[in-house]
Amino acid sequence: MKSVAIIGVGQTHHARRRTDVTQIGLAREAALRALEDANLTIDDIDSIVVCTGPVLFAAVNQPEKWLVDALGARMKPVVRVTSGGGTGLAGALAAVNQIRGGFAERVLVVAYDKLSEGALQYSISTLYDPFWGREFAVGIMGFSAAAWRGRMGRLGHTEEAAAMVSVKNHKNAFLNEYAHVRRDVSVEDVLNSRPLCWPIKLLDVPPISDGACAVVLSSGDIGEKSENPAWIRGMSYYSEADNAANRSTIQSEPLEIAARHVYAEAGITNPRRQVDVVEVQEPYTCFELSYYESLGLCEPGGAAALMASGATQIDGDIPVNASGGCMGANPIGATGLIRLAEVAQQVRGKAGEHQIDGAKVGLMQAGGGWANLRGVAVVSSQKG
Amino acid sequence: MTRITTGIDQAPALETSLEMPYTLTTGKAVSVFIEQLGHGVIVGSHCDNCDRTVVPAQDYCARCGGDQGATVAVEPTGVVTAITRTADGAVGLIRLDGVDADLLHVIDESAGEVAVGDRVEATFAPEPVGTILTLAGFAPSTSAVSTTAPKEIDEVADEDLAKQIIYSLSLPYRHAYGPNYGRLFDELGSRGGILGSRCPHCQNVLVPPRAYCEICYVKTEQFVEVKDTGRLQAFSVIHMEFIGQTRKPPYVYAEIVLDGASTRLIHNVAGIDMARATEVLDIGTPVRAVWKAESERNGTLDDIDYFEPIPE
Repeated sequence: MKSVAIIGVGQTHHARRRTDVTQIGLAREAALRALEDANLTIDDIDSIVVCTGPVLFAAVNQPEKWLVDALGARMKPVVRVTSGGGTGLAGALAAVNQIRGGFAERVLVVAYDKLSEGALQYSISTLYDPFWGREFAVGIMGFSAAAWRGRMGRLGHTEEAAAMVSVKNHKNAFLNEYAHVRRDVSVEDVLNSRPLCWPIKLLDVPPISDGACAVVLSSGDIGEKSENPAWIRGMSYYSEADNAANRSTIQSEPLEIAARHVYAEAGITNPRRQVDVVEVQEPYTCFELSYYESLGLCEPGGAAALMASGATQIDGDIPVNASGGCMGANPIGATGLIRLAEVAQQVRGKAGEHQIDGAKVGLMQAGGGWANLRGVAVVSSQKG
Repeated sequence: MTRITTGIDQAPALETSLEMPYTLTTGKAVSVFIEQLGHGVIVGSHCDNCDRTVVPAQDYCARCGGDQGATVAVEPTGVVTAITRTADGAVGLIRLDGVDADLLHVIDESAGEVAVGDRVEATFAPEPVGTILTLAGFAPSTSAVSTTAPKEIDEVADEDLAKQIIYSLSLPYRHAYGPNYGRLFDELGSRGGILGSRCPHCQNVLVPPRAYCEICYVKTEQFVEVKDTGRLQAFSVIHMEFIGQTRKPPYVYAEIVLDGASTRLIHNVAGIDMARATEVLDIGTPVRAVWKAESERNGTLDDIDYFEPIPE
């Protein structure tokens, strides 16, 4: 398969509410930063992939047609990709495939959401079938909380273990200049925080954010000439039927499949040992525990012990969400691309204060829908 | 919120509506444009790079993507370049004098039909309304083509600008039932029966009934009735309040596998002391449907008031 490199990365300083820019102004900030990082201008870009969450978030349909103007992207191919929390990764995969297919040499992926503008939980509740269950919907938080309660007894994903995820990610966000929530919390603070959808409590939940991220991907030839590329060593995105017979929300089957494919592509047989840094799109703390298992960082049922061991702390042997993950900022349409951008910056040695020394191989996960769309990517400083 | 309608010519449909509130950010250029309309001034943007002027003012040049901002006052006169008529009146494209792109707006035909090529002039609302409609529209004019170049404007003080506008979307829908949902809700509404469909390959019973099994991808061939009792597969106690919520917290969001079904049903569990919900309920707790009085049923999932634990 043809090689693909990340040659430029940019993100906004995320915020609870940006009143100084429109949604496209927000997206443009990240795009200009990524182009500058790649030492390119929009004229050098062959194709653009725009990624946002559901348009109900901010009331503008087909926002990519608006963004064309703000980027100076007229007369270039522009498409929009959307897939809930996995939107940014799904958009990056579209770009990778455009390059692998020979359609483009350099693709700009721009991902954003301006969540301060609309009614978030109401918008997300429209994921539900209007005939069958929408009246009971509590965004995706009710569903996620219920699934966690289901895993709790079976896998030992306790409230204490999840609280430790919150403490770790909040602490790491202090080191991330782009995060807008930097908060010193303890396990007790999390456990005593207000229940929203029990067992999910306020401090298990990421902020609502305005933010954007952009990445420039290129063909192998261009990547070779780039000063400091991160190489895509594998990328997959899988789905499962939401309400199929006997669907298990105990382990995520599509995530396991995506991980298996990506590991095979990247030559990874032992992710715990071979990967240096991990970013997961954890919107709620309970998901991070679940992903440890689906990604093979530990055995099923081993997530709480892995968390307690300190291995996933920033100074552990398998740091997860050194950036603070979603706890620092969660602009939903951009979140998946931020995870990819963060691991790319790690293997490029450009992650700033949360840089993991000598990181060469990064693993990221993102997903959307009713936890039924799941993707994984591995990036490396080595082309392979 | 939802109801079933029938008409002489139409199959039953589920009517729903979404009422979405927004606070939209205008961006600097548009906020200056709206503010200046209140002073009878039409503000555009001039891109130095492309040497083009557009109205309304835009933060970025659509030609090159560069920053431009609201920078120039343009003449209120121009020419109609396109026109169409609706029941509420005419709208058209107007090319203002000295501007390089058309502006879409209302055209006043109260004094007779306006044609492409006619000269027009801006009319303003008596009081600012906080949107582009402070510029009420364009009326026929005897003005000559202005050759005055757009003039640069002074910076508008930040505190004079409205940076956000309140907006809302009201979205009505009519969802067609189709044969599977049609049968399901007919049976549910008429006699409280809950139907699924059986996959002839894996023998699983899929609730709600569907035409194909998602796992085997073969056609289901048979409706099967399942019980209104089942077991909790997962649940959460909802305390959060949000816009659009149909229930008052605290309540229990539950995934229930009905007896005889292989899929989950989402509903509420009630009839318990909510303060003790986390102790009373467990994964696997048996539950049963509590139906509304027949007079209150309308053939939706709401016909089941809630599920309650079955005492051991």
